[in-house]
Amino acid sequence: MAVDHREIALPQGELGGESSVAAAGAPLRRSGLWRDAFIRFTHNRAAVVASVVFGLIVLYCVVVPFVSPHDPNAVNFKDAYLPVSPDHPFGTDKFGRDLFTRIAVGGRISIAIGIAGTIAIMTVGVLYGSIAGFLGGAVDDVLMRLLDALYGLPYLPFAIITTQILSPSGEVTFWTMVAALTVASWLTTARIVRGQVTTLKQNEYVSAARAVGARWYRILSRHLLPNTLGVLIIAAFLDLPGVVLGEAFLSFIGLGINPPTASWGSIAQDGRAAFVLHPLVLFIPSLAIATLVLCANFIADGLRDALDPRTRAERA
Amino acid sequence: MAEVASNGGQEGALVEIENLRVWFPIKSGILLDRHIGDIKAVDDISLTIRRGETLGLVGESGCGKSTVGRTILRLYEPTGGRIVFDGQDITTLNQNQLRPLRRRMQMVFQDPYASLNPRHSVGRIVGEPLRVHGISGKKDTSKRVRELLEVVGLPADAASRYPHEFSGGQRQRIGLARSLALNPDFIVCDEPVSALDVSIQAQIINLLENLQSDFELTYLFIAHDLAVVRHISDRIAVMYLGKIVEISAAAELYDEPFHPYTISLLSAVPIPDPVVERERETILLAGDLPSPANPPPACRFHTRCPYVQPTRCKEDEPPLRRLAPGHVVACHWAEEIREGKIRPKEVTPELVQQVQAAAWEPPPV
Repeated sequence: MAVDHREIALPQGELGGESSVAAAGAPLRRSGLWRDAFIRFTHNRAAVVASVVFGLIVLYCVVVPFVSPHDPNAVNFKDAYLPVSPDHPFGTDKFGRDLFTRIAVGGRISIAIGIAGTIAIMTVGVLYGSIAGFLGGAVDDVLMRLLDALYGLPYLPFAIITTQILSPSGEVTFWTMVAALTVASWLTTARIVRGQVTTLKQNEYVSAARAVGARWYRILSRHLLPNTLGVLIIAAFLDLPGVVLGEAFLSFIGLGINPPTASWGSIAQDGRAAFVLHPLVLFIPSLAIATLVLCANFIADGLRDALDPRTRAERA
Repeated sequence: MAEVASNGGQEGALVEIENLRVWFPIKSGILLDRHIGDIKAVDDISLTIRRGETLGLVGESGCGKSTVGRTILRLYEPTGGRIVFDGQDITTLNQNQLRPLRRRMQMVFQDPYASLNPRHSVGRIVGEPLRVHGISGKKDTSKRVRELLEVVGLPADAASRYPHEFSGGQRQRIGLARSLALNPDFIVCDEPVSALDVSIQAQIINLLENLQSDFELTYLFIAHDLAVVRHISDRIAVMYLGKIVEISAAAELYDEPFHPYTISLLSAVPIPDPVVERERETILLAGDLPSPANPPPACRFHTRCPYVQPTRCKEDEPPLRRLAPGHVVACHWAEEIREGKIRPKEVTPELVQQVQAAAWEPPPV
């Protein structure tokens, strides 16, 4: 058992049972859970580098379309497949559109779908998982067996079928994509939340809240869900690449957002036909997707070490 | 049971438990949970806690003493029996009806690490009862929190800190401050010091005693440490396997225990006097605590009792009988044991002796 020096530093008078203001004695270290986590995160070099790269990619996507002299959708066959030049850092595609600007515009869509999808996944997963975990018993059984059944469905076909159901006319919009990818990938988050809530509700501070007379929604919102936050943030950064990748894949096979709206997947699809002669059109968006996904994974890894130090101790 | 009632005296009773049973179902099966048995954690016990007293509840781990405390606060649902708090039957009240009463009964938990939410600041933890009951505004709450922290001996600026910044003893003080927030009459102390270092235990015990006299509190003090219980309790109830086997005034119980279980428990407490310690008779119990899912019939202690007799022990369940004023015991042979007519069976811990003999070889020079 670890000796706690703060307790030893108590003034002698306290042993006599005298309640004194100074009883807690020695100055305490001022810190917060989040600050500690941030410090641990900064010690993970891969995660820091990944965050910087991730930030730069987002910055590039946000800023470039505003400052670029080129219209990402303006067709100009005269400029088709121009090589890399100061004016076109990534060259142009078969319609003569500046790739540097198009990648940024496409990135906006890809990243926006990724973020919106992740938020939607978190919302659905937290609702479903916390209901199952908090109520427990038969409700938990039914909800989780349903989840198991849904797990049996393959991810991409599930997403594709959902897009077709949501837009029978075949016109796939931003929100259709978000909905389809959410429907296909909220399951894991729901399981994580359910597991967390099931474990956390055994804690004595939950009994203490019950003994005080706290109502169920107070226990859930004040005591259980805030304690799942660390795990949820990690889960979010693990879900994000899945959604980005899913969107890219659907766009690549032509089931994504309708053209001319660009996304990284659809730009890569444009470059597929001519990639032997003009590899950049396929290569650049693929690299962007790969980098973003890799960064998100490294960030998730760093966050897990930072927010849940116990798992690191076990792995080390 | 009549003795218990008259012994308790209806007049001064704050909490009365009558024939309380708490059974936890054992279920098995994949699709349909079949009910295959019950853990009889608390099986037909009656207790009276008088206003202003400390009732100690002792017994070994798993005997159901914490379950009793939690069931009084209705954190567990009773399977049968009645719980009366200050004249009001609370056995069947739902959680909404119970809420006003929760202001009057509170709990201090065993584990000071698990009983405080790590994401909440101390101010929020201590102020939560006030907020749940909508008692005071924001400003009043923080004032009351500072007051409470001072009462339990913590600095007022502890309110903005988080539980992980405190040691076990300090955390237990925070838990105490929370339980005092609503000015309760009755506090269930569920092994409040057993997770703490011995030096810190004394501080918390003294604090509990001071608070009791300052705020006219009634305690149900659950513990397995007999020395601690003796120090703080006015009366003590001894539990074995979901049953109460003996209730008596604290000093009397230690001077003259009647029930064989109490006798053996007390004989296991070391006496800090080497002469007495060497001379005195210790009674060892053989075997483990039987499963509460399938307790022994009749007297539940007969499987381990050093005084077990061929008759009655295995046939009839002993009722709680009054042997002296304010002293009840559930043993058929209590009088004979008291008068020394029945001697305990000698239980020798052979294995222990062998191990000790082996260890006593003179060390190599």
